[in-house]
Amino acid sequence: MKRLVLAAAALALCGAAQAAGNAQAGKQKAAQVCAACHGPAGDKPTAPENPILAGQHADYLARALQDYKSGKRANPVMKGFAATLSRQDIDDLAAWFASQPSGLHAQR
Amino acid sequence: MFLRSRYFAAAACALLACASPAALAQGAKAGDASIRGQLSLCAGCHGIPGYKTAYPVVYHVPKIGGQSPTYIANALKAYRSGDRQHPSMRGIAASLSDAQIEQIAAYYGGGK
Repeated sequence: MKRLVLAAAALALCGAAQAAGNAQAGKQKAAQVCAACHGPAGDKPTAPENPILAGQHADYLARALQDYKSGKRANPVMKGFAATLSRQDIDDLAAWFASQPSGLHAQR
Repeated sequence: MFLRSRYFAAAACALLACASPAALAQGAKAGDASIRGQLSLCAGCHGIPGYKTAYPVVYHVPKIGGQSPTYIANALKAYRSGDRQHPSMRGIAASLSDAQIEQIAAYYGGGK
């Protein structure tokens, strides 16, 4: 019985860890942190070096932000911004940008 | 069946990508301006809607069609130099010349 409870708790934790981000919270965060370079919806970068984020896969965006934060992906500008983000912020931002329309697509 | 053969083709391309960067680099040195062969390396993952990486971490490979060409070129150069780390992308980018990178960036960045 104890084991069963433990298993249930572990499952619940896994569920929480994979909870999808909140796009509306992400929208507000994006306006503060990301919009100046990527555009409020991530579809209008202000420089050609900056990628379009709108319509990108949420899990890829979250991975990129986590890697910027940890330093695994080295970029002085993005490291500074990502350092200010919590795990929840990252999931929220990923959900926001992924849900925005753009011309991004899988292309052969 | 069609779908299955597409996945098989993708797997074959991925294998090729791992197996022959040296051969590809020789082709580039020989002045081969065509990037058709290089594009097939990209399409095996980036050309399949919803395709996910299997290693080292599972997530959707990014959509690169319609992306900023400058961003794509910079990403490939960073993979090539090792500044940006991903085993498969490193292996593929290592085989690319500057000219091929610019052509690939233009191909995907200009695509609709």
